Amino acid sequence: MSSRRSRISEEEIAELLSKLQSLLPEARRRGASRASAAKLLKETCNYIRSLHREVDDLSDRLSEMMATMDLDSAQAEIIRSLFRP
Amino acid sequence: MQVPNSFKLALLKQMLLGFQLSAVSSNSMSFHERKNAIKLSADAAMVFARGSTRWTRGLVASLSKNRNNEDLLRGILGKKYERLSLPCCNSWKIPRSRKILKRCLGLCSRRKKATGTQHDVKSSSTLARRLVKKRIQVLKKLLPGGESMEGFSLLDQTLDYAVSLKAQVDVMRRLLKISKASNLNLHLKEEEEEEEEHAQRH
Repeated sequence: MSSRRSRISEEEIAELLSKLQSLLPEARRRGASRASAAKLLKETCNYIRSLHREVDDLSDRLSEMMATMDLDSAQAEIIRSLFRP
Repeated sequence: MQVPNSFKLALLKQMLLGFQLSAVSSNSMSFHERKNAIKLSADAAMVFARGSTRWTRGLVASLSKNRNNEDLLRGILGKKYERLSLPCCNSWKIPRSRKILKRCLGLCSRRKKATGTQHDVKSSSTLARRLVKKRIQVLKKLLPGGESMEGFSLLDQTLDYAVSLKAQVDVMRRLLKISKASNLNLHLKEEEEEEEEHAQRH
């Protein structure tokens, strides 16, 4: 009896590819037309790189802000904002 | 795709812990030291929130390469640090999924195209396959621990990682927004006090 994990179905792969595509910012704008694999991979790489750049940029700006921050009240405020619609 | 709020909360909490441990709000740090501490805190916090998966182990491994990071990593990750640093049980080989995946990536999207000679169709699909291979190599370098992943795992972990990164960005943005607001309040308050003082003297 083959274990459940030793075979991955085509449906699972298709689902994964479609999830990846819906994650990408461009795909949401263009609609549901299926991108080629090469395009999907390229946009995924671009997306991850852009997220890395954002983290780097945010770290720069946070670094400037840090000296005068009250961390406890900031934390409370963010938690509140997470629960606002 | 989104992470639950509990993920962002855990991320925020551990990130702020990291800031406190590395004393980012002290005046004695240089801009770069502070920035690195912030980045490291953000990454370690993201790992903490996500728990054990291949990319988090990969990220811990690469962050640990710098000896200076160890204290902060331990401080933020606690017991998880040891667990995430253990060599991963070697991935169960799924050659079958790799074949299926490569087939889906290489040919599914091209089945509809029937134009051109036999020769043309062959070379265009070879090119497509080469391009896909090339981009997979790029992806492997972007994903922490990606070098040792293949096929389904690679894409699955990529999705997981991208979603977590997005959450990290979101939390950092909110923190920045609030810190700006509180700084603004601080300055306004100072200005008010100065004006009052000025008014009282005249």
